Amino acid sequence: MDPARGAPPGSDAHQLVDHLFRNRAGQMVAWLTRVFGPARLGLAEEVVQDALVKALQQWPYSGIPDNPAAWLLRVARNGALDILRRDVSFRGRAGEIAAEIARTGDASGDPIALDGLLRDDELRMIFLCCHPSLPRDARVALSLKTVGGFSVAEIARALLASDAAIAQRLVRAKRQLRDAGATFELPGGPDLEVRLESVLEVIYLLFNEGYSAHAGDDLVRLDLCGEALRLARLVAGFGTTSAPAAHALTALIAFQAARMPARVDGAGDIVLLEQQDRARWDPGLIALGFAHLERSAAGPVMTAYHIQAAIAAVHAGGVTATPWATVLQLYDDLLALNPSPVVALNRAVALSKVAGPARALETIATLENDPALANYYLLPAVKGRLLAETGDRRRAATAFRAALERPCSQPERRWLQQRLAEVEGTEATESTKERN
Amino acid sequence: MAKYMLLLHDDPTSFATLSPEQIQKVIEKYVAWGTRLKQAGLLSESHKLTDEPGKVVRAPGGAVRVTDGPFSETKEILAGYYVIEAESYDRAVDHTRDCPHLEYGGTIEVRQVDDMGA
Repeated sequence: MDPARGAPPGSDAHQLVDHLFRNRAGQMVAWLTRVFGPARLGLAEEVVQDALVKALQQWPYSGIPDNPAAWLLRVARNGALDILRRDVSFRGRAGEIAAEIARTGDASGDPIALDGLLRDDELRMIFLCCHPSLPRDARVALSLKTVGGFSVAEIARALLASDAAIAQRLVRAKRQLRDAGATFELPGGPDLEVRLESVLEVIYLLFNEGYSAHAGDDLVRLDLCGEALRLARLVAGFGTTSAPAAHALTALIAFQAARMPARVDGAGDIVLLEQQDRARWDPGLIALGFAHLERSAAGPVMTAYHIQAAIAAVHAGGVTATPWATVLQLYDDLLALNPSPVVALNRAVALSKVAGPARALETIATLENDPALANYYLLPAVKGRLLAETGDRRRAATAFRAALERPCSQPERRWLQQRLAEVEGTEATESTKERN
Repeated sequence: MAKYMLLLHDDPTSFATLSPEQIQKVIEKYVAWGTRLKQAGLLSESHKLTDEPGKVVRAPGGAVRVTDGPFSETKEILAGYYVIEAESYDRAVDHTRDCPHLEYGGTIEVRQVDDMGA
């Protein structure tokens, strides 16, 4: 057999690991950004894209090579060396950079050493993407692009923005990094703490984008959740960034992700927590969540991630039912730490389980004029459910109709329409009775 | 059974905007397509050609002239080829119908290898 060929098409051909290209693209961009310097992030991306395209041009004929990741790295390395020879602007640094590239090449014979090296670069890359010179939305987009290996179009779909807006945001972010003279080193001391906070926030936003599914492409959103979990574990698993808050966030994401398979039924309809088939929760992810929750308890720090993780843990640990009094207590703590109207709304749901719907509706009334919830369909949706519980079907129907006016995904819309039909159905029966 | 060459033409610049995830999916489709042919015992060989345009050799008036090329009007280049076995031209063409190459804007030229009745 031709030694240059991998598994020929048709012998027990190698399969590619899921998301291999996306994950390796992120690592290789991080590696080349370190080697070239953050000011040449765009060049690093081009070299990596070229390597991936070369695989696309070669592998259909030669089959998937024995070690696809090493193949990609080798081609990217050659591409980078090629650029160093051609691009005169590297002049003085070309030799030094070439030596550094060769050093990574030496490591490629040892997959474990190489993995460690690339993981380090990847982690530094996340911190670069969360540089204080960048606005928050740019941090999210840049992290997805460079670390996550998402394309402009995929980011646009995931974040519900136009391709042009995302492309512009990325160009501007790279310029800002250059202008700010951002370095590829992890910050130290108090700077590390501040930057870590920003990194965790970006990961949290990524997960929420994927988890909440207001609209848009389900598959990309699922990928967002997976990527958020991967990044959280990366940060929590790395010596200097392995803070309790990082473990708390990882736990939170793992618990939430564990429930994802049970959140929709076979028809793609939403299944609420109480009705979820707990056998469909992912036990591996729940165990991962508890492991990180335990490690998050080291030290005196209590963040909002800790409390949210604890709430998620209570849900995940409940074999048949949720201990709502505990959940309510945790929401009290969370509200004290983070007095946001969304937290208050969630607390109202817990309150209704403990003290009944009427008490919860009092809370809802205080939130109804909050501008932060003006477009949030869950406020009238929760109100509708609580009113239905009290038996006030007429006002429940009004609330569900109001919820349907607000932006939400197709499954959410169907859920609201079903609830509306239920209360209207009863309402109709009652009015028929009245007429008779 | 006769041999057929499948000549795959494409425009390599069209790959520039594919995301890593999309590139992986495309590769997986090609490999699955090739695997089906191979498992049916129909795939003889497959090769990618290098990216440069190649050389064209002519001898107008007897003197050999070598030029770079061929440059066609389209951006498409001959990217690679497969040699497969099939009972007829129609069957050979049938095997290309589900080739992902077509899905991504490429062209497949099918030519029978002439065995001169051997």
